[in-house]
Amino acid sequence: MSQATTAAPFTPEQQKELQGWTTYYPYPIMGLLEAMRSVQTWHRCIKPEDVVYLAELFKTSVSHVHQVATFFPMFTQRPAGKHRFGICHGLSCAIAGSNKISKCLEKTLGVREHETTADGAFSWEEMECIGACDFAPALLVDEHLKGKATEEAVAKLAKELK
Amino acid sequence: MTKILTQHFDNPKYHELETYRSLGGYEALAKARNMTPQAVADEVKKSNLRGLGGAGFPTGMKWGTVPPVEKAPERFVVTNADESEPGCFKDRVLMTLAPHQMIEGLLIACHAIQAKWGFIFIRGEYADQYDVLKKAIAEMEAAGLSGDVKVRLMRGAGAYICGLDTALLETMEGKKAWPRQPPPFPTVAGLMAKPTVVNNVETLSMLPHIVANGGQWFADIGFKGDPEKKLNPSGGTAVFSISGDVEKPGVYEFPMGTPLKTAIEAAGGVKGGRKLKCVIPGGTSTPPLTAEEVGMSMDFDHPRAFGTFLGAGGIVVLDETRDMVEVAHNIERFLAHESCGQCTPCREGSEWTTRILERIMEGGGVEADLPNLQRVGENITGKVICALGDTVGVVVRGYMKKFPDDFKKRIPTPTAPANPLPAAAGAQSAERRDAIPQK
Amino acid sequence: MSPEPKKLVKFKLNGQDVEAPEGQLVIDAAKGAGVEIPHYCYHPALGNPGNCRLCIVEVKGAPKPMVSCRLPVKEGMEVTSDSEAVKRAQASSLELHLVNHPLDCPVCDQAGECGLQDYYMKFGKYESQVREDKLHKRKRTEIGPHVMLDQERCVLCTRCTRFTEKITKTHELGIFGRGHKEYIDLAPGKRLDNAYSGNTIDVCPVGALTDKDFRFKVRVWYLDKTASICGDCARGCNINVHTNTKRPWHYEGRRVVRYKPRYNEAVNGHWICDDGRFGFKKYDEDRLGRLMQLQPMRRELAWDPALAEVATALREGVDTKGADGLAVIASGALSNEDWAAFHKLFVEQLKVTRLLFAPEPDQLGVEDELLRRKEKVPNLMGGQALGFGKTIASLSWDQLAADIEAGKVWGLYIVERDAAKVWGARAKALFEKCGVVVFQGPWKGTTGDLAHFRLPATCHLEEEGHFTNFQGVVQPYYKALEPLGVARPDWQIFDGLRARLSAPRGKVGAR
Repeated sequence: MSQATTAAPFTPEQQKELQGWTTYYPYPIMGLLEAMRSVQTWHRCIKPEDVVYLAELFKTSVSHVHQVATFFPMFTQRPAGKHRFGICHGLSCAIAGSNKISKCLEKTLGVREHETTADGAFSWEEMECIGACDFAPALLVDEHLKGKATEEAVAKLAKELK
Repeated sequence: MTKILTQHFDNPKYHELETYRSLGGYEALAKARNMTPQAVADEVKKSNLRGLGGAGFPTGMKWGTVPPVEKAPERFVVTNADESEPGCFKDRVLMTLAPHQMIEGLLIACHAIQAKWGFIFIRGEYADQYDVLKKAIAEMEAAGLSGDVKVRLMRGAGAYICGLDTALLETMEGKKAWPRQPPPFPTVAGLMAKPTVVNNVETLSMLPHIVANGGQWFADIGFKGDPEKKLNPSGGTAVFSISGDVEKPGVYEFPMGTPLKTAIEAAGGVKGGRKLKCVIPGGTSTPPLTAEEVGMSMDFDHPRAFGTFLGAGGIVVLDETRDMVEVAHNIERFLAHESCGQCTPCREGSEWTTRILERIMEGGGVEADLPNLQRVGENITGKVICALGDTVGVVVRGYMKKFPDDFKKRIPTPTAPANPLPAAAGAQSAERRDAIPQK
Repeated sequence: MSPEPKKLVKFKLNGQDVEAPEGQLVIDAAKGAGVEIPHYCYHPALGNPGNCRLCIVEVKGAPKPMVSCRLPVKEGMEVTSDSEAVKRAQASSLELHLVNHPLDCPVCDQAGECGLQDYYMKFGKYESQVREDKLHKRKRTEIGPHVMLDQERCVLCTRCTRFTEKITKTHELGIFGRGHKEYIDLAPGKRLDNAYSGNTIDVCPVGALTDKDFRFKVRVWYLDKTASICGDCARGCNINVHTNTKRPWHYEGRRVVRYKPRYNEAVNGHWICDDGRFGFKKYDEDRLGRLMQLQPMRRELAWDPALAEVATALREGVDTKGADGLAVIASGALSNEDWAAFHKLFVEQLKVTRLLFAPEPDQLGVEDELLRRKEKVPNLMGGQALGFGKTIASLSWDQLAADIEAGKVWGLYIVERDAAKVWGARAKALFEKCGVVVFQGPWKGTTGDLAHFRLPATCHLEEEGHFTNFQGVVQPYYKALEPLGVARPDWQIFDGLRARLSAPRGKVGAR
C-alpha cells in the first residue's frame, strides 16, 4: 500500500524519496536499508512512527523493520547529534591513543558517549575499525574521515561545525 | 617489484575516467565482452586468483559453481566493499584512487557469469569512497560502457559481520545481518535466492589485468605452489595494509610469496627503532606471530605452519612496549561488539571472554582463568555458525600460545590467597551491567 | 491426505543400524530410534534455525561437528551422538547458555519443566567458572493478557518469534539489538494478544515466557496429568489436563490448574487456542454437587427417590397429555455415550418430538483459519451420527418459547444448557407455564435456580467418554478428577430414568 497514512511522519518530498527506494533495486525489499538511512538522516533517529510507515511501504511487519533498526549502530532510537563524531577503537588506533581522544571528546562536547548535546548539535561514539589505520587514531565525522585525531583537531571541528 | 593494482597510484587523476582510459582502462572489458563467458572464467581459473577479502577461495572455482544460465537466468554479482577487519584499509585506498579498476572488474565478472545486475555493497563509514564511486559509475554509464548491466551502490550501516558473504546478502535483502548456514551456497541460491557471486574489491580489481595479460601471466607472478609440501598456488600480487608501530603506515603491494619482513621493511621498520614484539599478518582475526616468525611467506598456504592465515592482509606491527593481554582484550571486545547474536556460543562466549580479560587486566585474575580461557576458546571454535564465532576462540588462544608470559605475569602467584570470587573491581561491578536501556 | 512414502535409507547412529525416510532430519531420525538429542531452537512446526548449537553430532568424514537439526539423513551416513567430543560440545554449549542466565530457579515457574535444568542434570553438572557479574535485562513484564516476559531468562532460541511469524502471522515478537545485548520484546505498538498467545509459553524452553495466570500458583511437580479433549469448540483439541488435588492450599483450592496441548497431527498439531487453554476455571466454579428438588418444596434427595419422582412425572405427563408436550433442550456438550443414552430415552422410549439442540445463538462464537471453530461445543457430530441435526430437526429458542406460551408444553427437560440465561427476562414466566422442569448439568447457571428438579452431572473431566470432532474424528477423553458431591455422568442419569420408565406400570419405584 503506497498511499501515505494521514499522519505520515514525512514531507511529500521525503515520501517520494522513500518511494524511490522501493524501485531502485530489482526487488522492493532491497531498498529498506537505504530508506532507513534516509530516515536517520532526516530525523536523526528512527522513531516508532517511522518504523510503522516503512513497514507499510515495504510490505513487511513492524517487528522486522524494528529488528533491522536496532541491529545496526548507525540507526538510533533516540536523536543523535546533527554531527556525529566517531573515534575509532580498532587495534591500531587503540595503541595510538584513541582512549585519550574519547576523554577529549567527552570534555570538549560536554556529553557522554551516545548522548546528544542539549542543542542537538553533537553526539559522539567509540567505533570499531573504520579502515583508516594509516591515520591512527582515526576520527570520523558524519561518516567522513577527518584524519588523525588530536585534541586540537577535535576542538577545531567542534567550533566549525556548531 | 611487480605492481598490478597500485602501478598508477602516483597519478593524481587516475580516479577519473579519461585518465583511466588513457592508461588502457576498459580495454580489458571490451576484450572480455568479445570472449565467451566460459573463456573469461577459464582465464581466471588459470590465474590462481584467490579471494582477497580474507577467505582465499579460488575465484575461478567459485564462479564455476554458478548453475548454467538456462537453469537460472537471473543472477547477480556483488562487490564486497564492506572492509571492516581491523588493520585492513586497502579496499578503501583502492576505491579512492582506482575506482574504475574495480568497476571494470565488476563488469568483467558480470560478463563471466552473465549477470545483469552488479552491486557494490560499501560500508557506511566509507562515505568519501561512496561519493567517489557514485561519480565514477556515472562517468562509466555516460560513456556507454555498462552494456546491459545495471550497477547499483548500497551502503552498510555499521556491522562488521556484513563482510561475511551470507550476512551481506541478508542485509541486501533488507534483513538484519544474521549469516546463513549453507547449503545452499550463495553461488547457487544467494541474493533473493538467485545465484550470486560475492567478490572482494581487490579480487575484482585484478580481473582487468588478468583478462588483458592472460591467466598464465598472473599465475607466474605469484606463489606457484609446492605439491610435495601440500601448498597450493596463490596467483598474482596482494595489496597489504600496514599499520601499528611502523614508520610509514599505508598500503603496499607485493607478489604472493613475499616474506613478511620485506613488507615491514618497506613500511620503514618498527617506529622509533624499537624492538619488534609481535606481528599480526592478516587483520586482527588472524593469530599473531612472534618477532622470530617474520620470515613467513605471505600467501594463502605457508601461514598454516605458523598457526595463522593470510586473511585480508592487514599487517599490524606491535613493538616491545605493547602488552598482549590488552591486545587480546581489544580484539575480543571488538568481536563481542560485532557478534550478530544468532548463535549462543559466539554471543555469550565473546562477551564472557572479554569480561574475563578485563578482570585480569584490572588485577582480579585467578589461576584458573588461563586454562578456563583455553577451554572456553576450544569449546567455541568449530561449534558456531560462522567464522566470527570461530575467531572468538582462536584469537585468545593464539595470544596465550605465542605470548604466555604476558598473561602469566598478570595472575597473582598461586601461593597468594586464592579467592575464586574476588571483590576486586571487575568481578562485582558497582554499576549494574544493563544490556538494554531501562525504560 | 498422507504424503508420498519416502524412500527408506539405512544409516548408522552410535554404531547401530537405523532406517529412516531419506531426507529426514537426523535429530528426528534419532528420536524415532529412541535416541534423544538435546536442543532448544529446533521445533518441528517452527523450523530449524540451528542457533542454539546444542544438537551437535559427529559425522564420519565431515571436517567439523554438525548440528543434527539441519542435517538430512543420507544412505550410509555414520553419525555419533554419544562420543566424548559430542558430550563435551553439549556441555559447553549448555555452559554458554548459562553464563548470563539468572539464578531464578527458586522463583521461576518453569522449574521442574525447564530445558536448562533438565539438560544440566543430564549432561551438565560441572563447576561454574563464572566469576563475573551477569548481564541484566528487563524482568517480569506483562506483554499480553496471558503472558509474562523475563528477558534475562531468555536463551534467544527464537521459537516464540517464529511462532508469531509462521503460525499466527501476527509478528508481535522479535529479537532486537545485536550480540550479547539482544533481547526478546514486543514490536513497537504491539501487545501479545492474538488468540493463540498461550502457545508461546509452551514453546519457550525456559522461564522467559510464562503463564500469567499460573504464575506462582503451584509447583509443577505437584501436578497430575491426564489426557483429555478440550470441550470448548468443535475442533476437539487434544490436551493434557493438569490437576492439583492433593494440596488444596494452592491456587484457592482449584482442582484444575492448567491445560497444555497434546500433539495430534490431524486435529490440532502442536497448539491450542487461548479460549480453550484458559477456559478451565469454570470446572471449579458454580458447580452442582447436590441433588435438589426446588419446587414445590425445597429438599435434597438421593438418586433413587429423585429418579423415581422424575420418572413418575414424565410417565404421567406422557400418558395424560402426550409425548409432544414434553420439550427437551440439549446441546453438543453431550458425549457420544450421553447422546446414545439420550436417544434411547427420549426418542426411542418417550417418543419426544419437541427437541432443541442446535448451537444457535448461545453456543456460537469466533471461527478462524487456525483452530477455532464457531460451534463452541465439542460434540454436535456425536449427535449427528444418531440423526440429531440430520433426520431429527431442532427447534429454535423463539419457536419453543412460542410453543410454551401457547400452552403446548407441559414438561421441560434441560440438559447441559443454561436455557434460562438464553431466554433472559421471560425465562421465569416460561418455566412457570411448564408443569415440570427438570434441569441436569454440571453448572448451576441461571436455570439451576428456576428448575423444579436439579440433577448434578459430571463435567467431561470427571468421567471417561468420547467426543466426535467436526472432522468426524472420534477422540477419547479420560477421567482427570473425581465427581463433585453426588454428580453422575449424563448417560448414567438417562439410563437410570429409562430403567424406571421401562419397569411394568405401577412399579416405577419407591418414593
